[in-house]
Amino acid sequence: MSGSVRVTINGRTLAVPAGTLVTDAARMAEVHVPIFCSHQKLPPLGACRICVVEIGMPKRDREGKPVLGADGAPEIAWMPKPQTGCTTTVAEGMVVATESPGAVKARKGVMEFLLVNHPLDCPVCDEGGECQLQDLAFAFGADFSRMDEAKRTFVSEDLGPVVKKEANRCIVCMRCVRYCDEIMGDDALTAHQRGVRTEISSFDRRPLDCEQCGNCIEVCPVGALTALPYRFQARPWDLRQHVTICPWCSNGCSVRLGVRGAEILRARGTEYRGVNQEYLCVRGRFGYEFVNREERLSRPLLRAGGAHTPASFDEAVAFAAARLESIAATHGPEAVAFLGGEKLYLEEQYLFQKLARGVIGTNHVDARTRFVSPVPGAALLEATGGGRPALSFSDLERAEEVLVLLEDLQGEAPLAQAALIRGQHQLGVHLTVAHARRVKLARPKFRGEWLGVKPGGELALLHGLTRAALDAGDPPDLPREIAAGLPGLKGALAAWTVERAAEESGVPAEALRAAATRLRAAGRKAVLFGRGVAEHPKAVALLLAIGNLGWVSGALRSDGSRVMYLGPHHNSQGALDMGLVPDRLPGYVPVADPDARRPFEQQWGKSLNRVAGMTAPEILAAAAEGRVRALWIAGDHWLRSAPDRALAERALERAELVIVNDLFLTDTARHAHVVFAAAAFAEKEGTTVNCERRIQRAARALAPRRGARSDAEIFTAVARALGASWSHRGPEDVYREIARLAPGFAGTSWATLLPLGPQWSREAPVGGALAPAEDLRPAAGPADGLWLLSGGTLFLQGSLSHRTELLPRLAKPGRAFLNPGEARRLGVGEGEALELAGPTGALELPASIDDAVPPGSVFVPYAFPGVELNRLGSPAGAGLRVRARKAAEAERVER
Amino acid sequence: MRGPLLFSDIDTPGLASIETYRKGGGYEAASAMVGVKPPGECIDVVKASGLRGRGGAGFPTGLKWGFVPKDSPKPRYLVCNADESEPGTFKDRELMEKNPHLLLEGMILAAWAIQAHVGYIYLRGEFEYIQQILDRAIAEARAAGFLGPAVAGRGFALEIHTHLGAGAYICGEETALLSSLEGYRGQPRLKPPFPAVEGLYACPTVVNNVETLMNVPPILKNGAPWFRQWGTEKSPGTKILSVSGPVRKPGNYEVPMGLPLSTLIEEHCGGLLGGMAIKAVIPGGSSVPLLPASKLSTGLDFESMVAAGTLLGSGGVIVIDDQTCIVDALWNITRFYEHESCGKCTPCREGTYWMSEVFERLERGEGRESDIDLLSDVSDNILGKSFCALGDAAAMPVLGAIQHFRDEFEFHVRERRCLVNRRAPGLTERQAEAVPA
Repeated sequence: MSGSVRVTINGRTLAVPAGTLVTDAARMAEVHVPIFCSHQKLPPLGACRICVVEIGMPKRDREGKPVLGADGAPEIAWMPKPQTGCTTTVAEGMVVATESPGAVKARKGVMEFLLVNHPLDCPVCDEGGECQLQDLAFAFGADFSRMDEAKRTFVSEDLGPVVKKEANRCIVCMRCVRYCDEIMGDDALTAHQRGVRTEISSFDRRPLDCEQCGNCIEVCPVGALTALPYRFQARPWDLRQHVTICPWCSNGCSVRLGVRGAEILRARGTEYRGVNQEYLCVRGRFGYEFVNREERLSRPLLRAGGAHTPASFDEAVAFAAARLESIAATHGPEAVAFLGGEKLYLEEQYLFQKLARGVIGTNHVDARTRFVSPVPGAALLEATGGGRPALSFSDLERAEEVLVLLEDLQGEAPLAQAALIRGQHQLGVHLTVAHARRVKLARPKFRGEWLGVKPGGELALLHGLTRAALDAGDPPDLPREIAAGLPGLKGALAAWTVERAAEESGVPAEALRAAATRLRAAGRKAVLFGRGVAEHPKAVALLLAIGNLGWVSGALRSDGSRVMYLGPHHNSQGALDMGLVPDRLPGYVPVADPDARRPFEQQWGKSLNRVAGMTAPEILAAAAEGRVRALWIAGDHWLRSAPDRALAERALERAELVIVNDLFLTDTARHAHVVFAAAAFAEKEGTTVNCERRIQRAARALAPRRGARSDAEIFTAVARALGASWSHRGPEDVYREIARLAPGFAGTSWATLLPLGPQWSREAPVGGALAPAEDLRPAAGPADGLWLLSGGTLFLQGSLSHRTELLPRLAKPGRAFLNPGEARRLGVGEGEALELAGPTGALELPASIDDAVPPGSVFVPYAFPGVELNRLGSPAGAGLRVRARKAAEAERVER
Repeated sequence: MRGPLLFSDIDTPGLASIETYRKGGGYEAASAMVGVKPPGECIDVVKASGLRGRGGAGFPTGLKWGFVPKDSPKPRYLVCNADESEPGTFKDRELMEKNPHLLLEGMILAAWAIQAHVGYIYLRGEFEYIQQILDRAIAEARAAGFLGPAVAGRGFALEIHTHLGAGAYICGEETALLSSLEGYRGQPRLKPPFPAVEGLYACPTVVNNVETLMNVPPILKNGAPWFRQWGTEKSPGTKILSVSGPVRKPGNYEVPMGLPLSTLIEEHCGGLLGGMAIKAVIPGGSSVPLLPASKLSTGLDFESMVAAGTLLGSGGVIVIDDQTCIVDALWNITRFYEHESCGKCTPCREGTYWMSEVFERLERGEGRESDIDLLSDVSDNILGKSFCALGDAAAMPVLGAIQHFRDEFEFHVRERRCLVNRRAPGLTERQAEAVPA
């Protein structure tokens, strides 16, 4: 459908796109047509009937000409019955009446019916005050009820830890059931019985077996489904509501926080706003609790000898500045390194590296503390098209073919997963998921292909896909500089027949060929990857291979990129963009390029270090050896995130100065000489860059915890104490400086970033060449033991999620998942203790049997409290292999 | 001979076996048409015959077949609606029980006309014994080469399967039937798209009633003019009417369309049992408005019934005598619709419940003056506002009853008892019978 049609609604004529529903056209005409069952992400249902309107079309004579009445206006042939606006699409000349006697009677009739069995217990209902039924009853309902018979009743149910169900209030709009099925892909809810006894519940009436996202609560237009954590906590009119950006992943959902006093009481989606609209995942909806925690740091701590002592902010700033100055003076600025910062706002990230480079003079800056191998600062951008216009979530939903590489989106990018499930269900997206485990998106339900790649075979898989795509002929329309690399790539891949790739990746050759063909043939496509690639020991080679596949398959084109990187944190992309990498200034300006560097030097009033610094893994090693003497770690529990915990502990113990900004006294912070109490995401204003490279501004929802400061304030105070003349007054000034200096951000302005900012892109892309990785052969790992597979989980993400009551409870204790065959071989049963031993340490945790885990491997999600995988040793080569045995046996042997 | 067309040989012993069926000329139409005459010709003949759907809506069958897109790459399906769930209707049951092969031949011809290679017969759950009869007939037809990879020895494949519903009135509605057939909740779907374009498994589908399909073989064998010898211009052919109530000879009757209702009752059914008089007749199953005794001369055809303010519907003629309380009868009907409402849309789900509760109060002798207008208004708020016709089916009888028998409702309210059986308030019919006069 294309073009527009003219429609007249209550006498006002307007042009709307063809195919628009009458309810949407009415909204465009600023005419209120109520809806309940209709939802912008679900296909029309037409069940609740509240949107009934009268609809007519111009009468036409035999020749098709409109019949004119006595007054010269076209005569209207009204349909005999009122029609539902949510199921009727507009047509040229259509006339809609929402306030005609017929329409009003029909609507009032439906309104009355909706209240026939509704309990009218608004005073004790959590929805009261923001209930669509309540609002409509005020608008259209009668002030008394003609229905005074007994109402049918149901018993209320707790459907698990987050959903409370009061079926008496249900108006059977089926939004919850449909959302759960079509967008979450969980199908956890259903309707029991029929007619007036229709009741929503789980299939077996047991707690919901699902993602616990609470979107069923969000889309419920009444109080039938309410959130248990928020139950009886507040009335909506007592809450201040602010829209900020969710801190739990790279998707950048808008989240509406409800704040009373100094406490966040709930988080909700934002109807019609943000990349997510109403959607939130379980972390986004229920994970805010850490902000409210009692044990938050409320003042800086200093450690001279053994124990921390509380200090004033000024004392802490003075101490930190003095020690930094002295170490830099004695050992040179390169004795200082700056780590972390992926969870900071863009302006704070910018200030962090400005402090490092412009004040101290070191390029040892890296936010990517989880990376195992030293990845160049622009490698991720180059793999995703070098800054060419990026794809959006709505592109993702409308794609024909999507390849998800080595990532379980359920834990790492829940909104991306929801967009793909909706796209698959409603718009025909075809999914190809390459992952060692049969993750949710790879389930047969979603009708895609699962490429079950062997651990260690990741690079082979990419070579196989690229080779298969190349075998179909040279890709057309390659930019010249890219095409120049084609012969080199072909040469490098000459030895990589699809059959060999199949052999080494464990994915059948036919499946590789078919996947490559689908990706190449699709007009609208996307390739997604995340930390599964970036934190891989062979990340550099994998990223180059993804770039190659992107160009060869047409996912990368001169006019745009269809390759998306889903970073581990909500502002991981921002950290890269702001130069929290050792070799690039903000906007990916190479530190070694004197011309490109000059604007920064002018702005910062200092000539900058031209030698690229060390990456995070290099800093880790250098600090352990004493080559780096001062470490500033911002918002990062380094002992958990560093690839090798033993090494990180040695580094922290050896360093002369450790400064940590954090909300909590983490194990990392315990090692610090200076601990700054930091403000949480909701307590400060700033911008983030999500995986679409969309710049979004987050509002401050509440004042910082007493004694806590935003990271920006902390960096600024220390910089000023070190003599820098930083003159900005707040994030807006800093953003202006960023937009002036960082290519890609030019032209954006603070004022335009809300509610849905632009996706940044640059005219001159960074890098961009087909570059066969130097080491094309996947390295062989140790010959024995189980491959250690790790990955994100839905309920927990990072150590902040441990600072909530609900999320760890939902996640249950950390477990090691084993293939049934492997479990039998080890003689370990469900729940029995399993000992995993790596090169540097061992870990004991309960085993769980899961046939989604391939044989020869053990899957341990990293985010559980007490599960510190980096104690086992740093993954090398193609990954980490561990020895596993039943723990009880191990003890017996020792004795 | 019980009737001119479908009932001409219905009582022939052993008609359910293929031998007997073929002796009477069975499968001759299928042999003559399938793989011989172009499908379009079959559709044209059926169009010319003026055959209208016998399930209730009276939609022209040939037109419906013609809506199936010719160029769709998807498979096409033929579905026989044998749910026969309309209260008062029991014609398809007898037809299928006694003459299953006629249905199969009708389906073979319809499938050829729309080029469907799979047909389903959706039977109501209680028709398990008919499923056995049909399955036997399907096996016979297959063995005789009228079903299977090459129907009548020509290159047209057709398989027919039977399927039992799970006991829901709404599954007689064609889109709810398709949902149920696919394994989902039996709830109606949005139209458009109509089943002819997106029906079973989102593929082009024709859904026809049993009686409709059974009319197809004789029409294609004898031609449209032959068929038009019965009935009226707009409602050609015959109709099988299921007559129930206190008539001397209740049962199924095949009569030419347009026969006056009074003739059916007085002549065919032998009039009412001794001493009783007609108060009203529900002419087309429980979902149509009743006709008062004053309108008994109305012709039994689609257009005459509409003119008289009711519908021919499925042909379930329910005769209500003067000893029957209209309020009681309507309560019974309303309770049925409350119980059978699928719950999808608000007006039907909530309205039928509400009406049922008000009726119950009237019956208890606790009715109020305002209840009669309330029932009218609630019915009016359902009528035309519900998702499918079930809501209308619940509303129309109540509106009709109040229009024609308002005095009985008023008596209930005023005297707190029934005008007809003088039952004391609060007593059920059974209890009242137990009380000595």
